[in-house]
Order: sequence, then structure tokens, then C-alpha cells
Amino acid sequence: MSHRFFARIAALAAIVALGILTEVPAAGQQAPAPAKKAAAAKPAPSRTPWGDPDLQGVYTFATTTPIERPKALGLKDHYTEEEIAALQKKADDAVQAEGKAPRTGDTGTYNNFWISSDKGRVTGRTSLITDPEDGRMPPFTERVQKIRAQWAAKDAARQVGKPPYVQEFFNSWEDHPIYTRCIARAMPRMFQSYNHGVQILQSPGYVVLDYESMHDVRIIPLDGSPHLDASIRQYNGDSRGHWEGNTLVVDLTNFSDNMEFPDHVPGGPQGNMHIVERFTRVDANTVNYQVTVDDPTTWTKPWTFILPWRSDDPSYQQPEDLFEYACHEGNFRMMEDTVSGTRSLKEAAQRERANTKQ
Amino acid sequence: MFCSVAVRPAAAQQAPTYRAPRLAGTQNPNLNGIWESVNTANWELESHSPGPSPLPALLGLYGAEPPGQGVVEGGKIPYQPWALAKKKENFEKRLTRPTSLQINETTGDPEAKCYLPGVPRATYMPYPFQIIQTPKQILMAYEFAAARRSIVMDHKPKALSDTWMGWSTGQWDGDTLVVDVTNQNDKTWFDRAGDFHSDALHVVERYTPIDAGHLMYEATMEDPKVFTRAWTIKMPLYRRIEQNAQVLEYRCVEFSEEFMYGHFIESSGK
Repeated sequence: MSHRFFARIAALAAIVALGILTEVPAAGQQAPAPAKKAAAAKPAPSRTPWGDPDLQGVYTFATTTPIERPKALGLKDHYTEEEIAALQKKADDAVQAEGKAPRTGDTGTYNNFWISSDKGRVTGRTSLITDPEDGRMPPFTERVQKIRAQWAAKDAARQVGKPPYVQEFFNSWEDHPIYTRCIARAMPRMFQSYNHGVQILQSPGYVVLDYESMHDVRIIPLDGSPHLDASIRQYNGDSRGHWEGNTLVVDLTNFSDNMEFPDHVPGGPQGNMHIVERFTRVDANTVNYQVTVDDPTTWTKPWTFILPWRSDDPSYQQPEDLFEYACHEGNFRMMEDTVSGTRSLKEAAQRERANTKQ
Repeated sequence: MFCSVAVRPAAAQQAPTYRAPRLAGTQNPNLNGIWESVNTANWELESHSPGPSPLPALLGLYGAEPPGQGVVEGGKIPYQPWALAKKKENFEKRLTRPTSLQINETTGDPEAKCYLPGVPRATYMPYPFQIIQTPKQILMAYEFAAARRSIVMDHKPKALSDTWMGWSTGQWDGDTLVVDVTNQNDKTWFDRAGDFHSDALHVVERYTPIDAGHLMYEATMEDPKVFTRAWTIKMPLYRRIEQNAQVLEYRCVEFSEEFMYGHFIESSGK
């Protein structure tokens, strides 16, 4: 799947009825203390037998809230109930429209048949990003703007033909993003339209995140040990966690130089990225995943998003509901078709040029 | 922590039994930790002499096979006659470059492609794995290819399809963790020697803590399409006791792409 797919998804109408997250923590702060009114008081979260706050469960982080707020909305961070209803109708209409056949020549793509949309798993917010104030990622540094422009030019050079018959040449597997090569998912994980399950497990001294997509297990030690040596780089970085009250705070460093941007453009944040995650149980069905991303060589300032992890999706109740994601094992034809297909097309074009010369 | 040793009169000697500390909140032994096998089972399950690498002129001793004592109880894997011939063919073709989907699906050691290793091979690949044990579930996270599998302890889900790592359910037999693994596909090998199975493979594993630093691991394989009877492998698993022991990311896909897809490129100069 290309980054264009995600641009299309981000443009999908968002949100249903107002969600339960009326106490969304502001960026950089911990989850708010229980409300003073007795009626709104939250019970203390349960604890594991060894005394840690219990975050365990099978969750999904599917959402139709876009990562970035549409520019036209400015500083508006929440929708009204009427707006949510209108957006919901638009989303429902889009699902109905998918019953129609695609345009001639259009092989179609992932649609709502494959994507579990998040009816009921809503935030009511206009963006996942809560800081900066405009709900959008801060500007890229000049270094990164240059990298992205160079990549865009290279990417454009691989496109041949005219819409709707544009084809993309892949001269090698390296023309595919890390995502499509089944190597890794971008960090931090903000978005997944399918196989968006994740389980939190806890054992003494550890919190473990078992992600369905890319079958990634992130093991977070809580023993205060130092990060890995800087020469060891990982796509998921290196995680070290500790508790602050009922919030799990995880510090991530040691990111690989081969990271992609969240929109799958290569040349991403690279090894300087520093992420701080905060996991807080909000209610019996929700853990808030709040993340601050800091990389002064990539973004001009840090940015924060909040993504609720919900455990009330009927498709994601038990550990076995996280399917095996044997990505690379099923990827042979992707590479064969794109790479040798490119070669075939180029050879055909060469032959045609040779013929017309005669 | 110390081993607890049962004291018996000399006339009725019994092996001392170790009672592992319990996982808090349960009556079960705590198997949490980072473990690794130390043997050559991933090269070959049966006993073997040393041998050259597949490309000695290019690699010298890198990739040469060390000698090793087998881990198969009784010595030999009880193949049906057709299957023994197939094993030998597997070995001869173990590093065949997959120039088509058909070849990729039928030929060559999946390890060379960074494919998920299946069970029990994941246990004895020469990389650490972590056991994450909770009261209702055990997750095993392997360093190789970020393989993982979930062992459900409190119910028996129905397998929806065959997978690379299979469907695992577990229960306790005293202090032994018994894991039942079904529905593995037929695409994994047991080792680099070409030992293989069909999609009818059924594996039962046993993990028994024998002292603070070791588990005894056994796995019994049943596959009526390939073997004449069930057979068992057995080996210790060693706890990684380094202060900073950690399962690292060994995402080997990008190291396998040249082998797998290089022939599709229009020119070797890229």
C-alpha cells in the first residue's frame, strides 16, 4: 500500500456520536485526577498480584479521527454533536457507495469491506494531535524538507502513464517503503485500518505490548535499567518504563536510521527520535495512549497525540483475536510482480523504440 | 535463590526435585525470563559430523556446520521411506534461489528467507527468547524474525486457519507447562538438514523448571503423513542471566531480500 492510500483515508469523514472521552488530558500533562463530585469519581484501577496498576487487555486502536486536523478548522479541537452526526452520515453514505462497481480500468483498493471502521470507538476530537494547538504536526526542519523533496522527485520519476492508468515502476525492492517490504511499522504507531489489535500483558518487572500488525512484541522493562548502547538501533526503538501513579511512562530511544515518516516516506526521523509514551487506564474499556515525539533534527518542535485504545470491540476480545500477521511470508508475489513487471515493461518499451526506428 | 532438595533416606534414593518460585497470584511455577538453547539442533536434530559451508570458496569457515550430538530420543527421526528421500532432496536444494512463487513455496530452507520458523524450531534456534507468563496466558517472544506466539491457558480457541507458528493452548501438569500446538502449515522445516513435516503435524511441548537457571524442554511430534510413529526431542534451555539480558530486534527480512528477489532486478548495478 502506498502513502497515497493513507492520504485517502485521512480524507474520510470522521466520527460518530460523542465518545466518552470528555476528560482528554492536555498535552504534556498526566491524566486528570478523579472528579471531585462523588457521582463522577473513578474507582482506582485494579492491580496485578505484584502490585502494578493493571492495564492488561485486548485492545484495538482503530479510529477515524485523523492524525492531523483539517487546516480549515483552525484551533477547534472538538466537534459538536450535530457535526458528529453529519460526519457519521457522510461516513455511512461512503460505505453504501462501495457497493457500486469501480470505474473501468480501476482495479480498486482496500475499502470498508476490509477496514473495520470505528463506529463507537470515537474521540469526538478533530485530530489525534493535541499539541501543537492547531492539531497538526509542526513544520519539518530544512534538512528534512530537502530529503522529502528529493524523495518526491524520485517517486514522481517512477510514475508512468496518465490517470487513471498510472503505473509505478519498482526498480528494486528498495523502491517499496519499509511498510510494504514487511520490515517494520512506523513509530509511533498512530494509525492502522486493519489488523489493528494490540494486547497489553504484564509480568513482574515488565509491561508487554503484543501488536497484531507486523507481529511486533514490545517488551518494556520496569527495572530502571539504562537504554541499550547507542550503537544498537531498532525500528521500534528501545523502551524503558516506570510508573507515575497509575500511568505507565515509557521512554524510547535507539531508533534505526532507516525509519520512515508516518506517511511512509523514507528518510524519516532516523536515530535522533525520542518518544515518551504515557498509558493511563481511563475506564474499564479504555486505555489512553498519549505520545510526545521529540526530534529537533526532523521537526521544529515536539508534538503530542492521544489515541484511545479500546477493549469493547467484539472482534477483539480474546488473545486469539489477534491474527498471525505473516507479512513477509506472503509477500513474494508483491516483489515478483512489481520488480520483474517493471523490467518487462521497460524491455517492451525498448523493443518498441527499436521497432519504430526501423 | 536456592534449589530445594528433597532429603530421602539412602535406601530409597530419588532424584531431588526443584520447586520453582510461584508466579504471584498463582500456584504455578514462574517461567518468566529470557531463555536460550545451547546446541546444534538448528543445524540438524540428529547427530552429525562437521561439514563445509554451502559456499566454502566465498565464505571460508563462515557457515560451516559444527559437529553435534543429536537431540532425538532413540537417535533417528522415524520417517516413512518416501519421506526420508524427501528429506535428502530438501537438504540438497536448501539454498535454491526462489525464481518463482512455485519454487518459493516448495523448495529451500525457510530460515534462509527469514520466514517464521514454526514450533519447535523457534525454541532451539541459536537466539534468545522471552517467556512472558501471566495467570491466563503465556506469550513467547523470539529474537529471530520477531517471531512470537501466544499460548492460551484458560480456554481452547478454535483454530481458524493454518499459520506459520500454529495455534497453541497450554495447561499445567504439576510444575510442567504442557503446550499443545496444532494447525501449523507445511512450510517450515525442523532444521537446516531438511527435516520436514506436513500440515498434519501435531506437537506437544513440555517445559519443566529443573533449577533456577534451567528448564528441561521436550517436544513430541506426531504426523501420520510423514512419520511411522511419534518421536520426541529433548534439551535443556538455559536462562540468560546477564544483568542486561534482552531480546533484541533481529528483523532479518532486509538481509534476505537480495537472496529472494535479486534475480528480478533488471540490472545487478541497481
